[in-house]
This record gives sequence, C-alpha cells and structure tokens, in this order.
Amino acid sequence: MILVGAVLAHYLSYDEAVSQNILQKISSVTELSSPSLSVAYYEPRILFYDKAYNPAYPQMLPLNRMDFIYEK
Amino acid sequence: MKNSLFLHFLTLLLFKQKSKHIGAVLISVIIIFLLSTVLFISSSLQHSILCTLKKQADFTVSRIEAGKAVNTPAEWVEKIMEINGVSKVAPRVYGRYFFAPRGNAFLVVGIDFFDEQNNQEMQLLLKNLNLKTFLSQDSMLVGEGVKNFLKAHYFTDDFTFKTPKGSFKKVKIAKVLPKQSNLIANDMIILPIDVAREIFGIGEDEVTDITFNVPNDAEWDNIITKLHLMFYDVRVIEKREVKKAYENLYNYKGGLFLILYLVTIVTFILILYQRYSMVYSTERKEIGILRAIGWSIRDILKLKFYENLTIVMVSFILGVVLAYGYVFILNAPLLSQIFLGNANLSNSVTFVPVVKFGLLGSIFFFYAVPFLAAVLIPAWKIAVTPPKEAML
Repeated sequence: MILVGAVLAHYLSYDEAVSQNILQKISSVTELSSPSLSVAYYEPRILFYDKAYNPAYPQMLPLNRMDFIYEK
Repeated sequence: MKNSLFLHFLTLLLFKQKSKHIGAVLISVIIIFLLSTVLFISSSLQHSILCTLKKQADFTVSRIEAGKAVNTPAEWVEKIMEINGVSKVAPRVYGRYFFAPRGNAFLVVGIDFFDEQNNQEMQLLLKNLNLKTFLSQDSMLVGEGVKNFLKAHYFTDDFTFKTPKGSFKKVKIAKVLPKQSNLIANDMIILPIDVAREIFGIGEDEVTDITFNVPNDAEWDNIITKLHLMFYDVRVIEKREVKKAYENLYNYKGGLFLILYLVTIVTFILILYQRYSMVYSTERKEIGILRAIGWSIRDILKLKFYENLTIVMVSFILGVVLAYGYVFILNAPLLSQIFLGNANLSNSVTFVPVVKFGLLGSIFFFYAVPFLAAVLIPAWKIAVTPPKEAML
C-alpha cells in the first residue's frame, strides 16, 4: 500500500511541462527533433534523414542504382 | 455458504499455503515488471519525442546527388520563399563532427543567434547566458554528454576543432544545456552558424538543408509538386513521414519485447498447468475432503478462482509499481541503453511519467486469463471425480 501510494503521489505531482518546455525550445532553436541516440558514427543519428551504412565496412558507402546513373 | 466464512477460509488457506504461492508470485512479478518497464520506457520516449516534433517545420528540403544528400544551395531559400502558401523558410547547417582519437562523434548545429526568435528562446532556455559575451568570441553551448566527454579528455574550458582545410578552430565552452534536454541534445553542440560553416568547410552559398512551413494542410501535396518542378535534384521530407518513423522506432523495440514476453508467458503458463495437473496428493486430498463435507464443484472452483485471483492481483500490482519506480524514479539504469544506444556518448535521460491505462489493462488481461485457466482447469478435473477416488 505504501509503494502504491508513493507511486501515485509521484505520478500526480510530476511536472511534465518543465521538461517538455525545454525539449521544445531546443527543438525550435535547432530545428532538429531527432532523439539523441548513442550510435556509432556510421549509423544514422538524425532519424529518417541519414542513411545507414554497412556496419561491417563502415568506410564503404552504399552503392545503389543512382550512383551508376549519375557517375561521371 | 456465508460470504464471511468463505472469505475467512480463503484467507486462512492463502496464509497457510504461502510457501506454495511465493514461487508463482515471484515469477509473475518478474515477468510483469520486465514487460511494464519496456512499455513504460517506449511510451515515455515516444511521448517526449512527439511533443518536440510539434515545434518542427512541416517540410525539409535537401539536394541529392548520386542518391546521397549533399549540401543545398543557399539561393534555394529565396526561391522557396517565392512559392505561395509557404512560410518560415529557414536554412539549417548541421553535421556530425568525428573525434578521431576516441572514435566518438558530436552533432554540431549552427544557428543564427541574431534571429529574434532564436535569441528569445535561448534567453528563456539559459537564463544566465549573456549573448554579448557569447558572440564576442567563438563560443558554443554543449549537451551534458558532450560536456562529460570533453571534461574526461581535459577540455574543460574550450575545444579545438579540426577543419577540413587542416586548420584548427578553438571554441570556448560557454554553457551546458539543461539535463532535461538530454533526450535530443545529449551529444549536441550549438554554435553560431558561421563557426559551424568553418568547422564543416561549408561555403557561404551553401547550407545543409532548408526547412519551411505550409500552414494550410490542403496545400501540402501541391507544394511538393511545385518543388519537384522547380528543382530536379531535390528530396522533400514531410513532418508526417518523420512522425511515422519515430512511432515505428519505439513500436518496433516495444514489439520485440512483446514477442519475448509472449514466449515467456506461454512457458510460464505451461509450467503452471503442468504443476497443477500433476497428481499432487495434498491438492487432490484437499479438494476431495471439501467435496466429501458437502462443497459443490462450483464452490471449489470459486475458492480456487479467488485464491489465484489474489495471487494475480498482488503480482500485477507489485510488478507495475516496481516497474514505475525503476523507470520514472530511477530512470531505468541499464535498460534505457537498449532504447538509446551505447555506442557513442553515454546518455542519461529523465523519463516523463506516461502510463497508458489501456495498455496496462491489456497486460493484466493477457496475464490473468491464461494464469487462471492454467489453475482452474486441473482443479475442475479433480473436483468432478468422486471424493473417494480423489483422495486415493
């Protein structure tokens, strides 16, 4: 009962607005909202914008059809 | 049968056989704790990320070359502004700076500190930030993860970037971003847009990409068509696509755990069923005696139902409460790394309490029904046999 009471008190008293406000301000200033995933440098950091490279050969960029089409 | 007597007998039975129930309660608590923990983390992260997305521009435009995003010409900003229905067109300069000695990377974001809105937001965010001092020399704002990393590598006051031209750029660490922003800014470095250009070797006529808003939703598809007609080497990303990507990211991880949970719960229920259906002489004897003294099959099933419902309720409440404490009070040490990764800078996020009661109801339902069935079916099988046979 004490545990349930403590959890209820925490849930009801938590001020969500403060942290949401800070997150929104950072997002508004930087225009970036992607979660700060702790990923290796060859993995996408900005979700949806970056492409994942081959984790086995991080230096090797992916070859795709467009590479051949635009090759000079 | 009077209810008070029944309850008294049920309580006595529970306390008398508590050693028998402790094992089931313990396993149930662990299973519910793990599942609730994962669901709490994923729903909290999803909630926070989707809230930050509200402040994002509706569209992002970048130039593509050979299938890859490359720097976008700055002149596109003016061209996009000319499209009717478009507002708040803003260039972005950002990228990842690779710190070769340790194999870590920072997200460097250049912003225009002279922009009135940015200026106001910054003043609200960092109350003691003196912009005059900040802009008088090359300075930057760093996320908590970056600060800890730089401190560990003896960069306490400033950090020296290596530019693509081979020169070095020393930038002062002016302030650390608030801890509450770790979810999006842990590995972030915010500095004036000119300094960011210099670090990445981006010319004055280029930007990383361009963002803009289209207040009228009905115009969205029309604007995309116009952009594709205007530029042939363009990639347009809509906010609604990004939103879907964020939702899927944590749904996927939550879903993965849900599958593991299902495997675990099925195993647990099978063990429980096997245990109760085994010919336990005490169990059989107990039911046989109750039948012999005049209890009906219904009464016996009622007793077993309430006995196990108590176990289910206790396990469920304990599991959920412990999970809540672990995630929202202790901030999920260890498990949060599954969701946030651990390959770059370490990140400690404060989770916003988000409890979806519908989801908890579903967990209870999927846990309680098989549990009760696994106990009641064998009990019913014994109860329907004649008392004399059951006690043999």
